Amino acid sequence: MIPVFPIISFALIILFGMYDPRRGGLFALIGVGLSSVFSMAVVYEVLFQDSLHGGFIESTRTWFGGETYSFEFGTYIDSLAAILLLVVGFVSYLVVLFSISYMHEEGDRQVRYFGEICLFVGVMLGLVIANSFLLLFIFWELVGVCSYLLIGFWYEKPSAASAAKKAFLVTRVGDVFLLLGLVILFNTFGTLRYSELFSDPELLAANATEVKWATLCLFGGAVGKSAQFPLHVWLPDAMEGPTTVSALIHAATMVKAGVFLVARAYPLIVHSPDTAIYIAVTGGVTAFIAASMAMVMNDIKRVLAYSTISQLGYMFLALGTGAWAFWHAAEAGLEIHHVQGYTAGLFHLMNHAFFKALLFLGAGAVIHSVHTQDMREMGGLRKSMPITSLTMGLGVLSIAGVPFFSGFWSKDEILEAVHRNGEVEGIFGILWWLALLTAAMTAFYMTRLWMMTFSGPDTRKISEMKPSKDHEGTGNWELSKKEVKIHAHEAPLVMTIPLMLLAFMAVFSGFLLFIGEGFGSRIYFGHHESTEGPIQWEIIDHILSSSLTYLSVIVGLSGVTLGYLFYKRGSDGKSILSTSFISDNIVFGPLHIFLSNRMYMAKLFDWFGMRTWDTFAQACDWFDRNIVDGLVNATASITQFFSNEVRKLNSGFTGHYASLTVGGLGAIVLITRIVMPIMGWSI
Amino acid sequence: MIDPINFVVFSSILLLIGAYGVIRNKNAIVVLMSVEIMLTAANINFVAFSTFYNVLSGQIVVLFVTTIAAAEVAIGLAILLSLFKQRDTIELDLLNRLRW
Repeated sequence: MIPVFPIISFALIILFGMYDPRRGGLFALIGVGLSSVFSMAVVYEVLFQDSLHGGFIESTRTWFGGETYSFEFGTYIDSLAAILLLVVGFVSYLVVLFSISYMHEEGDRQVRYFGEICLFVGVMLGLVIANSFLLLFIFWELVGVCSYLLIGFWYEKPSAASAAKKAFLVTRVGDVFLLLGLVILFNTFGTLRYSELFSDPELLAANATEVKWATLCLFGGAVGKSAQFPLHVWLPDAMEGPTTVSALIHAATMVKAGVFLVARAYPLIVHSPDTAIYIAVTGGVTAFIAASMAMVMNDIKRVLAYSTISQLGYMFLALGTGAWAFWHAAEAGLEIHHVQGYTAGLFHLMNHAFFKALLFLGAGAVIHSVHTQDMREMGGLRKSMPITSLTMGLGVLSIAGVPFFSGFWSKDEILEAVHRNGEVEGIFGILWWLALLTAAMTAFYMTRLWMMTFSGPDTRKISEMKPSKDHEGTGNWELSKKEVKIHAHEAPLVMTIPLMLLAFMAVFSGFLLFIGEGFGSRIYFGHHESTEGPIQWEIIDHILSSSLTYLSVIVGLSGVTLGYLFYKRGSDGKSILSTSFISDNIVFGPLHIFLSNRMYMAKLFDWFGMRTWDTFAQACDWFDRNIVDGLVNATASITQFFSNEVRKLNSGFTGHYASLTVGGLGAIVLITRIVMPIMGWSI
Repeated sequence: MIDPINFVVFSSILLLIGAYGVIRNKNAIVVLMSVEIMLTAANINFVAFSTFYNVLSGQIVVLFVTTIAAAEVAIGLAILLSLFKQRDTIELDLLNRLRW
């Protein structure tokens, strides 16, 4: 029932939104709000009351079917769906609230905006509670369409239009894989329903090859949707859309769908260690690459985009690690207590949703206020935007993994899970180092972001072209620099309230680790052993006594410190360490340029595209011009010839028409009544 | 009782006469009259078989056909009238502008 409300309000907004003074915002608030309330009810039941005990409830209707197969649609709620409902319901409601103020300058186009947002939220909720891979695929595609529409919201801007196209096409590559995976699954098992597919582990184990390829293909879909390397190129470009859309895509909907898919396919993935390792490696590498690129970006939204890619990489790393650990334990005949990677990945997903939504909405408030996205043109906003800077600061500390903020708990869990695998399988050791480095880089670039935006003097140097003194005679222009005060104002209340709520969640959602018998007792895969007594102290004890914890704390803090040293600007605009130390250095200089150009990834794709596809396209062009067109033209000229002849019948004399009619009728009668009986034919 | 074959033959002759009239005549009013003759041919068949099988529905259909034919003639004559106003003729051979 939950996704119905936003979809209804989508229809309402499209039809009647023009009459609403808020141009659809009210409908959106009500629709998304209702589904949020219902989501929260489910979340409360499942996560806090633990009423499912790790099972699931499913309700289903037959959609269409035949003798052999039937396809059902229905809902499937388990703890995984519940945590996604928590994220989507909560974050999207706040985003809608925020965008009422953020989008108020857009006029009538808000109708389109709110309509699309509602549809987006609705299909994402549908995706989360779908009960079969087929239904998931349908919603999956709808999510893609909605993101296309929203990224291209300012479609008259060429860059936005092409970014939307890029997002759509790149994710399409993944979707083809997903569909392929579904076909393999359906061919092998004859069903796509979760409850039927997951109920028989022996059958899955018996078809290991098919499961391997199917899960690889499913993961291919997740790679596209969640912008993992090498299909990550669309996400930074997707920053062309409104910032609220970015917040929604990054925190609640689009990219989380990929992680959700992998977590949903977990019962399959644990039967295929290859897939698990592949997932973990992709995640780790992506996390590292994206974090390195985030360090040099100057566009505030692009930094956040790369950080999203990087954090998603973390989630995949955790999920892959968990799946491999589960498989390994099953192989070795060990008893499986709980799959730490799975729990940690989803825990990180939830935390990430809160702090990334916070950061994006904060960035939105900043952009709304100063009308630029370039961090070099910002600075000193701390005084004029105290609430935004404070809440964003909390978000930064959270993502940087500073102790007791939410990011700390989940990142620590992930690192520990990877490290534990690293003791058995070498590749996880490498991944652990990558992840640790990524943690440091994350702390560094987030601190950089905050410092560049909010600290330092609140003036900036701008360059402008002026006619030079002898302009009349020579027509010369000269470049002059002058200092301007940055005009900034605190965002209105309707924007800061979501920020404050999200900041609260970003700080405290880490403590969900301690609900019940620990977060792992609610979100887990496989068998969970119920322990007696409060487990909270055990967890704390475990965290405090582990050397890994201190390592990740040190790494995170050193990142923050470095960022502070480089980018904390005093009132004179100088930082303690100069950044030119890095960009002028003989080692780091080229690296900086390399990263600034996004590792030449886009260029490489272009070059590859030009070389291979251009040749192919030319061949196609020739074929099209000479053979396809030739056929079409031949058809046309033949038709033309005959019609030239036939049209002479059209004389304009009524008598001719009448005689043709009578003659034709006579001919039909003659053939059917006389010729055909004689020849023995029948109609 | 008269053998229905007579009616069939009679109505066929009427139909052919009507068709000949439609095809060969140059005067549009005569063409309209010929169309009426063709309709009458069909009506005769209806009535004949309706009596033969003792089913009334055939005769009801005839009533409908007559009504519609009247309406049709009214429209046709109106068209011819306005045609005559514009072109000063209702000779079909001269009205051949609507062609390729």
